[in-house]
Amino acid sequence: MNLFQIISELEKVDPEIMDRLTHRRSAFTALGNFGKKLALAAAPIAIGSAFNKAVGQNTLMGVNEVFNYALLLERLEYSFYDQALKAATLTVPLTGIARTAIETIRGHEQAHVALLTAALGTNANPAPANGFDFGNAFATYESFLIFAQAFEDTGVRAYKGQAGNIDASLNPTIGGAQYNLLQTALQIHSVEARHAAHIRVMRRGATAGNQTNIFPWIINAEPNGVPAGVYGAGNPVATFPTEGNLVQGGLTLTSVGGKTYTAEDVSAAFDEALDSTTVTNIARSVVKF
Amino acid sequence: MSTFLSARAMQRRSFFRVAGATLATSTLVLAGCKDDEEPVTPVASNVLRLGVVTSASGAETVTQESQENGVLNYAYLLEQLEAAFYTQVVAAPPADLLSDELAYLTDLRDHELIHREYLKAALGASVYDASLSTPLKFNFSSFTLTTRVGVWTAAQQLEDIGVAAYNGAGKLLTVTTNLLALGKIASVEARHAALVHEVLQSDSFASTIGADGLDDAKTPTEVIELIKTLLPIEVSVAALPTA
Repeated sequence: MNLFQIISELEKVDPEIMDRLTHRRSAFTALGNFGKKLALAAAPIAIGSAFNKAVGQNTLMGVNEVFNYALLLERLEYSFYDQALKAATLTVPLTGIARTAIETIRGHEQAHVALLTAALGTNANPAPANGFDFGNAFATYESFLIFAQAFEDTGVRAYKGQAGNIDASLNPTIGGAQYNLLQTALQIHSVEARHAAHIRVMRRGATAGNQTNIFPWIINAEPNGVPAGVYGAGNPVATFPTEGNLVQGGLTLTSVGGKTYTAEDVSAAFDEALDSTTVTNIARSVVKF
Repeated sequence: MSTFLSARAMQRRSFFRVAGATLATSTLVLAGCKDDEEPVTPVASNVLRLGVVTSASGAETVTQESQENGVLNYAYLLEQLEAAFYTQVVAAPPADLLSDELAYLTDLRDHELIHREYLKAALGASVYDASLSTPLKFNFSSFTLTTRVGVWTAAQQLEDIGVAAYNGAGKLLTVTTNLLALGKIASVEARHAALVHEVLQSDSFASTIGADGLDDAKTPTEVIELIKTLLPIEVSVAALPTA
């Protein structure tokens, strides 16, 4: 484990991480102590811990950080679909209305990148210098859709986790039109949810193996083949429970209003949020950037 | 019908005082009544004012809390509408509905019922219909619910309105936990909308999304205008914040 490289990687995601640590030396010491005690496999926890300390309870401070974080995720998604549409391995299976759908989704992600970049102006972080490496994601149509589901569902959770950090009174003019930034984030959030639902419907199709146990909504945090963290809990768990959560506002909704509902329906009726550190860790577990 | 009327009449006084909303009714008028020759137009005195608190003396005030609860009551109204729609459809599905489509509609019904019950419980005493023993009766006569295309077309309209309503209402909330709670529901409505589009026409999941990559957002005023023919009462959102 190369600690200097990890810090360097973190700085690529968040150039200001070091400014928020008391000073660079203490960050290295903190990571070093963890490193001595933990196995290499636990490295993401150590990174997460340092990241938490830096950004304060997994909360991104200020609208520029929130939107740069969103910009990174949108760039990742755009690149993912763009590479998929160009991948030779997917030329045969990714055809017809399936291809049209992916082109539509790629177009949305591209528009999100453009909008967020324009909103950030000179505060926009540069794109990762080496791009995004999705490994063997495009080996088969099925593996491509599994990655797509993971990214879209994580995207929904990521935007939901940041909504409370965006001042509702920010109304910048972007490209001649005025935008309310919180509303804009919510409008992107529902687009990602539509994408997620559609990708899940695509997985039900014959080409993807008739996986009819997968629904447009998330049932009981069932992973459907994606990394388990995608539907797991964030930090703190009380704010960011797993997608299998059955309790909202202190109410256990399997029994409410004099009627009972199944865990499947209750968990599916609510999407849960995720903190930025957990989202970043999930992304980094499947993508090199 | 008569049960509903008497329940409303008996509890009118206490209903009138509910924090966050009032239903000022001296004449109760219901749409969708079998005996009516023509569609019933809500009368001006039969108004649900979201965001207004009415004191015992009848004076109306808007407080920060009642504004917040007004937005939540607005969401509750929308969830009641959706729950009532799917409940009616599942109870009497069109003859040409496919079997897997009925399973989907049943899931949608249950999700909306859970949303409705959650918001009702979360609002507690501030829920606008707290003192009603029977829920509002919605009027779906403008929809064609005897064919599968009619059912899914109606569902698409309701789900798209729901998504746009949540997208437009989030910024009106001042309590972060409320924003998070509505966000958890909003993305599920978007999932519903995408599916409902898909059932009607392949690859139409994104037809509400503009060239800027943004989904639709509507103000409470715009939403109420779109659904007013479905409501048995007139709803005023004038007391809700607008930005």
